[in-house]
Amino acid sequence: MILQTALLIGLVIFSVLAIVLRDLLKSAISLAVASLLLGIIFFRMKAPYAGAFEISVVAGLITVLFVLTIALTKSGDDVRESKIANWVFPLVFVAFIVIDALVMKSLLGKVPALPAAAEAGGFGDVLWRGRTLDLIGQIAAILAGVFAVLALFRKKDKHE
Amino acid sequence: MSNTWYLYLFFAAALIGAGVLGLLGKRNLIKLFIAIEVLGKGISLILMGTGLAKASLLTAQALVITYIVIEVSLVATALALIINVYRQTKSLDVRGLSKLKG
Repeated sequence: MILQTALLIGLVIFSVLAIVLRDLLKSAISLAVASLLLGIIFFRMKAPYAGAFEISVVAGLITVLFVLTIALTKSGDDVRESKIANWVFPLVFVAFIVIDALVMKSLLGKVPALPAAAEAGGFGDVLWRGRTLDLIGQIAAILAGVFAVLALFRKKDKHE
Repeated sequence: MSNTWYLYLFFAAALIGAGVLGLLGKRNLIKLFIAIEVLGKGISLILMGTGLAKASLLTAQALVITYIVIEVSLVATALALIINVYRQTKSLDVRGLSKLKG
């Protein structure tokens, strides 16, 4: 449990670094490390499929997409962030963490997780039989993404 | 098990809080999108933590995988949009988008 808590603390630290750091490349790498830690947390929760997806897709593919975008928008670092926001963010975040801890401590044991129906079969049965509509939705989401990217990078016709 | 659930909820809330604060305070479009990603990580952690607490980890995994697939599609589309915005405005400042007003 100590290792799991350390991983969770690391996840929050790298996620906050991803938002706070000025250099976009460092932010993207921090986000990838946070995804990697989340994947390890999933593995330790005995959820290997979600962990493998988190590490391969989120830590790998999405980081590559971010780095590619940062490379294509070279002067992206020039954006002037609000100075007040730079000061306020850590203060409000620390206050939020304190309130979060107090609320969770007060709720401890009072709101139990409701029991769920027992799951039959393995992961394949649950994914392919129990969540079939989700899979159709996933296919639709991927197709929507592909067509959206194609539409956004469409070249002008000669007649236009 | 219940205490573990609260631990996951606590850290998930911290991630969601960081994401929301990032969305409110940042002006760089890529930073804003990174904040959305952090928010999404919090949601994934809530799903998995609750799945663990309710002993329905397989369903939670299926939901997280669905979320990851949708996230990839969303990231690809949003980053393509950001590149197009950069080509138009030569900046990643979200305030530059106010020029799109009719």
